[in-house]
Amino acid sequence: MPRFDEGRPEMTLEEFRLLRDHVYAHCGILIHENMKFVMERRLWPRLEALGIQDFGSYHRYLRYDALRNAELEAAVESLTTHETYFFREPAQLKAFCEELLPILEKRNAHTRRLRLWSAGCSSGEEAYTLAMLLKDSGRFNDWDVEVIGTDLSRRVLAVARRAEYGPSALRATPPDLLERYFIPVGVNRVRVRDDVKAWVSFGHHNLADVAGSQLVPRTDVVFCRNVMIYFDLAARRRVLGVIRDRLCPGGYLLLGHAENLLSLGADFELVHLKGDLVYRRPELPGGEGR
Amino acid sequence: MSDTVRSLAGQEEARYRALQAVDPRAPGALETFTTGLHDESWRVRHAAAEGLRRVPDAKGVTARLISVLGERGETGARNAAAEALAGMGPVAMPPLVHLLEHEDPDQRKLAADILGALGHPEVEDALLRALSDDDLNVRVAAAEALGRMGGDAAARALEGLLDTPTPLLRLAALEGLASLKRAPPLERVMALVEDPGLQRSALRLLGLYSPGVATERICRALASPVRSVREAALVALGTQARGLGPYERGELDAVARSVLGGIPGVTERVAQALDGEDVQVRAGALVAAGALGEASLAVPVAEVAREDRLLREVLFTLGQLGADGRRLLLGSMGMLSLPARTVAAEALVLLVDATSVPELCALLEWAEDDLRAVVVRALGRTRSPAAVAPLVELLADPSLSGIAARALEQLTVTHPLEALTALEVAVEQRSTPAAVAVLGRLGGARVLPVLRRMARDEEASWRAAAVEAAGHADGEAGLELARGALADESPRVRIAAVRSLGQQGGKEAATFLGLALKDEDRGVRVAAVEAVGAAGAKERSPDLESLVRHGDGALAMLAVRALTKLGTVGAGVLWDALSHPDAEVVKAALAALASAEASADGAALAVSLLGHPRWDVRVAAARVLGGLGRPECLLALEQALSVERDGLARVALADAVARLSGR
Repeated sequence: MPRFDEGRPEMTLEEFRLLRDHVYAHCGILIHENMKFVMERRLWPRLEALGIQDFGSYHRYLRYDALRNAELEAAVESLTTHETYFFREPAQLKAFCEELLPILEKRNAHTRRLRLWSAGCSSGEEAYTLAMLLKDSGRFNDWDVEVIGTDLSRRVLAVARRAEYGPSALRATPPDLLERYFIPVGVNRVRVRDDVKAWVSFGHHNLADVAGSQLVPRTDVVFCRNVMIYFDLAARRRVLGVIRDRLCPGGYLLLGHAENLLSLGADFELVHLKGDLVYRRPELPGGEGR
Repeated sequence: MSDTVRSLAGQEEARYRALQAVDPRAPGALETFTTGLHDESWRVRHAAAEGLRRVPDAKGVTARLISVLGERGETGARNAAAEALAGMGPVAMPPLVHLLEHEDPDQRKLAADILGALGHPEVEDALLRALSDDDLNVRVAAAEALGRMGGDAAARALEGLLDTPTPLLRLAALEGLASLKRAPPLERVMALVEDPGLQRSALRLLGLYSPGVATERICRALASPVRSVREAALVALGTQARGLGPYERGELDAVARSVLGGIPGVTERVAQALDGEDVQVRAGALVAAGALGEASLAVPVAEVAREDRLLREVLFTLGQLGADGRRLLLGSMGMLSLPARTVAAEALVLLVDATSVPELCALLEWAEDDLRAVVVRALGRTRSPAAVAPLVELLADPSLSGIAARALEQLTVTHPLEALTALEVAVEQRSTPAAVAVLGRLGGARVLPVLRRMARDEEASWRAAAVEAAGHADGEAGLELARGALADESPRVRIAAVRSLGQQGGKEAATFLGLALKDEDRGVRVAAVEAVGAAGAKERSPDLESLVRHGDGALAMLAVRALTKLGTVGAGVLWDALSHPDAEVVKAALAALASAEASADGAALAVSLLGHPRWDVRVAAARVLGGLGRPECLLALEQALSVERDGLARVALADAVARLSGR
């Protein structure tokens, strides 16, 4: 069997559990037992960067070192995939544009205000995509619009604010949108145009942190795609509570195509759009709360 | 309460909220929730089912739910009741077993379904009896339930059903056996795999057999025009490959290669399966791709890395695709997803040679951090002098400097002069203090003048790098610089000095470390504790002993570890450490017990920790006791094993018991 990991120490089951529990206590992200190999592989570069020889020592570093908080954040960042690109899951985005945006335009006509939240925004591709779609719809041009992107990792937020991307992030971007919303900044790199950036803001937020979520304004739509997969049932419930709390009554929650709210209680209504299934925070009885 | 909920007709949300607000302990809660089971909205029914599970009178709830199961025409309520019963646990089992005798076959079927969902093996006998029920649906439900939790008897019964004339039962038996992972004699399954109605289930079951005849039959199914048959075959192939040793895996690959090679269009079919949704199908497709060794599949194989659970198989398969496959990946890097790029880069590390430097440097221009780390490692393997300059430049990147330093060390073996020159230039140009550290390690006494100069630099980071580097370059000069640096106003420089002293060892270093142990800065003290152990400074043991009771777990734990290294852990210290509130200190003390000539007292201490609230401490205690080999501890270990619930702790205890009892 070929080896790709020369010199990499093997993580014992004990080390796996200690590290897993430490990460879980920090942010509610649960690494399943069968992911030991993945954890080992993803954390190894952190050991390498710190010059630490084994995972037991790394656990002690995370517990005791003066720089432990920063390192814990780096560890969590390594453990959560930041695989994202512009215009990901086009069928869902089409349903969002063609079916939800007209509803939101009508519903918010009296306030002319629209708030979207990209929860777990990673390096910003989703948040910018949403802003581009809003611009492209032509429905909200003189509205007060804000797309809020939040993530647990400060490093990816710095990338998101820079708004410069390479070919991989653009691999699903239609050429006309590429032309309209990006400007070239070097070989194989582009930057998001300033008028799109002006509609997007970013912030640091741990989705499992109920108190901290008060910093996120009430939103009309939450995109929380491929984020729930990192949480166990209890943490998912907590996160859903946060999302529900931050959604306006009647606001929509869009999950990744492989995710659903089965076995998570029924605080959201399932809405069958023509092109997608989405969730909605129920309106308050009598239509209060808006 | 029930009336309140009912009065909210037409207001689904309000009914749902009202039901959620019901206190399950309040009188009438059972009635209210039971009414909710009959609501027109599934959300309300679901909330009612959840509410019923919280009502304290579990027996009463179970009886009521079972009565709802009998309400013909109330499909929604019956399903909600079944859902609630499946969540009730063991209390629901006796009445459900009783329900298997009911005159209404629908209720008997529901009972079998719910017992299957409950998954408790105690009801195996009852379900086995239900296999003889007059009603086919009940028999099928019983077979399916047995497939979810049955034991030996269930497996034998399901095997017996493979000969039944009823196709539905044969199907349930095949699925049940596959789910129980019980393989009947191969020839029985081979016969069923030719039946189009049973083929998919029989194929999945074939995955449980060793490579050989079963592999051949599974692979032949990849020629089927029916996609679901091909997918079942791939699932079986993935199952068969799981956990095989290198020899058996080679055997499987050889058989698969010989069959798959003869199937027209198989590469396209495998590529299509690699891009599918089902993780088990993709696992099998990886096995097929590896057996085919088809380089053109490199990109779809790498893309499977988006599924974390298949990462190991992806890496293995990429290795099977050879140099052509890896070259193809290199050309496609820009368009791969992040996980695919990361595994592709790892494969690339094996491929690089002196000609790869420009391509690797181009990757550094745009790659994300984790990919850049792999590229840096690859640069170190190129053995090319052209890789020296980019690596020296990368020393300035905090997230990559450690890896770049090691890569440079690799290159120094073949190009020492180029590396040293580039590092000296980098230091002169003050590009990064990390260059000083590497220079000290690689340059030896030759670079001492530079290090002495840098040790007087106005920036603390440069002084620190120079002091630590001097320790590597020359012992005497290292000691001299470290002594001066202990008086530096920056804790960072003092930490560097302490580390250097730890490397030097000797009497003088021990004296200076004594001062560092009393430093005002915690970071310096922590570094000093580690350095005392590293330097072998036994004369500092009393200083360390006083730290073992320290409230700062880091200092206490490091003190115990350092004392262990020095071989001077006394019984008093052990007592203190083993009763420390921080579990890491306790584990460090247990490690000390294991490495010392442990007395009966020491063993007694470890025994007392078998009941520690933390699983990792119990594991450590069990390991130590297994290692000490004192037979008088056997009883305590056996008792601890009999009550231990944690999986890892049980394994450690069982190992210890086996060692002490000679089993």
